[in-house]
Amino acid sequence: MVAIILLLVLPLLFATLVSFLNRRVRNSVAIVGVLSLSIITLFVWFEGRVVSFELHHLIKYLFICVDTLLLLFFVWVGWRRKQRLVSLLAIVQLLLFVGVLWIAPYESGNDIVVDRLSAMMYLVINIVGGVIVVYALEYIETEPFAQAKKNRFVAILMLFLGIMNLAVSANNIEIFFLAFELTTLSSYLLIGYRQDEISITNSLKALWMNQIGGVAILLGILSSIMLYATLYFDRLIASASGQMLLPVVFLIFAAFVKGAMFPFHSWLLGAMVAPTPVSAILHSATMVKIAPFLILKLAPSFSLFLSTTVALLGGFVFVVASLMALNRDFFKEILALSTVALLALMMALAALGDEKATMAAMILIFFHAISKALLFLQAGVLEKLYHAKYISDINSLVDKAPRTIFFILIGFASLMLPPFGAFVAKFMALEALSEAIVTNPLYLFVLLCLIVGGIVLAILYFKVASKLLAIDTTHNSPNEKIPLLYFIPSTLLVGLLVVCVWSIYEHLGAIESLLALMIILFLPLFWRMNLSHSKPMHEYNCGEIDTFEISIYYFDLKQQERWIYLSLIFWALLVVGGVL
Amino acid sequence: MMEIVLILLAPIVGGLMYGLERVIKARMQNRQGPPILQPFYDAVKFFLKESFYVNRLHIVLGLGHFVTLWITIGYIIMGGSLLYVIFLHLISSVLIIFAGFSVRSVYSHIGANRELLSIIAYEPIFILMAVAFFLHGGSFSIDVIRTNEPQILPLFLLFIAFLFTIPLKLKKSPFDANEAHQEIVGGVEIEYSGMFYEIIYTAKWLEYVFIYLLLILFAGNNIPLAMVLVGVVFVVINLVDNATARVTIGDTVRINLTIGVVLGAINIIGLVA
Repeated sequence: MVAIILLLVLPLLFATLVSFLNRRVRNSVAIVGVLSLSIITLFVWFEGRVVSFELHHLIKYLFICVDTLLLLFFVWVGWRRKQRLVSLLAIVQLLLFVGVLWIAPYESGNDIVVDRLSAMMYLVINIVGGVIVVYALEYIETEPFAQAKKNRFVAILMLFLGIMNLAVSANNIEIFFLAFELTTLSSYLLIGYRQDEISITNSLKALWMNQIGGVAILLGILSSIMLYATLYFDRLIASASGQMLLPVVFLIFAAFVKGAMFPFHSWLLGAMVAPTPVSAILHSATMVKIAPFLILKLAPSFSLFLSTTVALLGGFVFVVASLMALNRDFFKEILALSTVALLALMMALAALGDEKATMAAMILIFFHAISKALLFLQAGVLEKLYHAKYISDINSLVDKAPRTIFFILIGFASLMLPPFGAFVAKFMALEALSEAIVTNPLYLFVLLCLIVGGIVLAILYFKVASKLLAIDTTHNSPNEKIPLLYFIPSTLLVGLLVVCVWSIYEHLGAIESLLALMIILFLPLFWRMNLSHSKPMHEYNCGEIDTFEISIYYFDLKQQERWIYLSLIFWALLVVGGVL
Repeated sequence: MMEIVLILLAPIVGGLMYGLERVIKARMQNRQGPPILQPFYDAVKFFLKESFYVNRLHIVLGLGHFVTLWITIGYIIMGGSLLYVIFLHLISSVLIIFAGFSVRSVYSHIGANRELLSIIAYEPIFILMAVAFFLHGGSFSIDVIRTNEPQILPLFLLFIAFLFTIPLKLKKSPFDANEAHQEIVGGVEIEYSGMFYEIIYTAKWLEYVFIYLLLILFAGNNIPLAMVLVGVVFVVINLVDNATARVTIGDTVRINLTIGVVLGAINIIGLVA
């Protein structure tokens, strides 16, 4: 219990400290903070028991005050930026919130429940998120801002971790709502951090879209109180299964908003105007991961119809978002769309609800966090050190930045190939879906989506890799110099990836399938092989003297739009068919 | 023990199949053709020749392609999970594609991109095949599939779909656009020479072993049926190779995906219903 409270309070403490210190002390304090958070998380994970306790009612009053202030702040933001939608949604939320407080029954229950799922989310949030915070210490120094503002950036990132910890441990939906709104606030502040026109526009977009999620949660709470007279997740799930699922549907809707499901994906795409650590932390460790988490939490109450609908929708978005990523040129946008796709897949798997699919969803959440963090950190390095933002101008970067490219390739491989986690998740998902087809043939379509979407994503990664890889043997390039605070986080993430892959195979009892693959690990030894008997040569070009340029293909979804609409209609028909 | 011998023999079996294929193809064209051992004579010759290389990454990736393909075949022979085998095979394809991307050659890049497209064409069919084996036999394990009754009849549509992927995997007409000697000079193979080319060449023999090992899964525990299947399919594939012209890579993907996925889906629905 102490550990949990520390996880909730420490980020707040360190965030406050970090705001007032000079650069060097700030860095050490932040690193100490991240380390202590990680150690506590590991402790909670290995202790492995369910912790639940009730909060003092004064703390709950405090939470209500914070909630009210927050909503008033949103009203003010909308008024100041002349965004009526923001104010309107904030006012709607205020009214609903008053309504909730009005009719809330007096009940005592466990406000904080930390089960296995929450403990896993802690690992993602504090360790992966922590690594990103360390990276941000170096990154933010390259931005042209005053020291106080830079410190505030680090402080908000730290705070974000604490808020996420609260979100994944809340059992009281009211407290969950508070955490939900606080993540909205942090993302608003972080996306708008640069304060130029486009940042402000995109941050406001993220704000109002996420507020829709807030409205949905409040409606969920209201209907939960009216139908089942409870404010707690566990009681709602226990009493709602097989009954009216209205509150659950509202909560799923909120998850869709946070998880950037179509049509709410544009806030996540807009978020990339922010400094890169923000994208990294939004995509991997925090914010969007609320969505699959919430669905995993609610899944035990799902009816077959609800599971099928969410799974079909998730599968569909998985394919379409992957296809959309194929015609993008901005590296961060490609990564963003692949996040949208994979999140949809996570939600689809979480909604299936059987043991294997749940496990697959959890593994995917975890490993996706590591891989995406790794990739976004490299996106930041490319941007800062090599001034490359678009994949059309990262030609043959392997000459200049072999280590960065190595990290990018590891990141890509970890999202599609064995033995990495995303593959394990896909494997288990295929097994789970094959079993589920027998009970409900509609899952065949989810299966097809999984297969096709997976392959489209693979093409996407290849497309980027094809641009990066071509080695120019004609001249030698200078050695790559990466600042330590960039290099160490990336190395840590790769290390984490390896350790987690090992432990997941151990957990599944499949170490022997890992062993054969270890042979591949010896391949780099051949790097140093003696080639003195062979001659280095230039490439064969049929005798032509042509300059070599790599061009990449784009897949324009606009031409295929009618197909998407047609398949949407088809989907809708399927769902209707399922109801009948 | 038997398995280990089989795994070690895999490249030799592949080489013999390749040699036999050249003879059969020649006889279909009224030619004498090379001796069956010709691939091995070639191998010796490649090893004795002076070899050239473009860069180290290229060689290491090519070697990786060969090694992973061999591991994949080992997995099939040892009777691992069919799904796992399919993904292992994906790694080996990924490595050869990366090798194609790692040199500054137009042909190599085009070849690698086409290789990638051909993965799109056959991968869904393989996975659907695994799912169908699971639905019918109750397990993804190749061991179990091989002890089951022959599954070619309940999985007949998928068997047809699988037949389409064989020329694609073995780079035979009409689906050989990813190699296409006449236009892109062999695609990803172009920058390999001497003993390094021999590695890629042997990997090609291993592809034969891989695809025919998958094929005999349809025969289950019926060994005579397995032999008949391999024999008939071997001849048919070569007949088709001799009789058809190359289709473009786009059409390859379209034909394989439409036929494969539709047949596969119908077959799976049939198994469930």
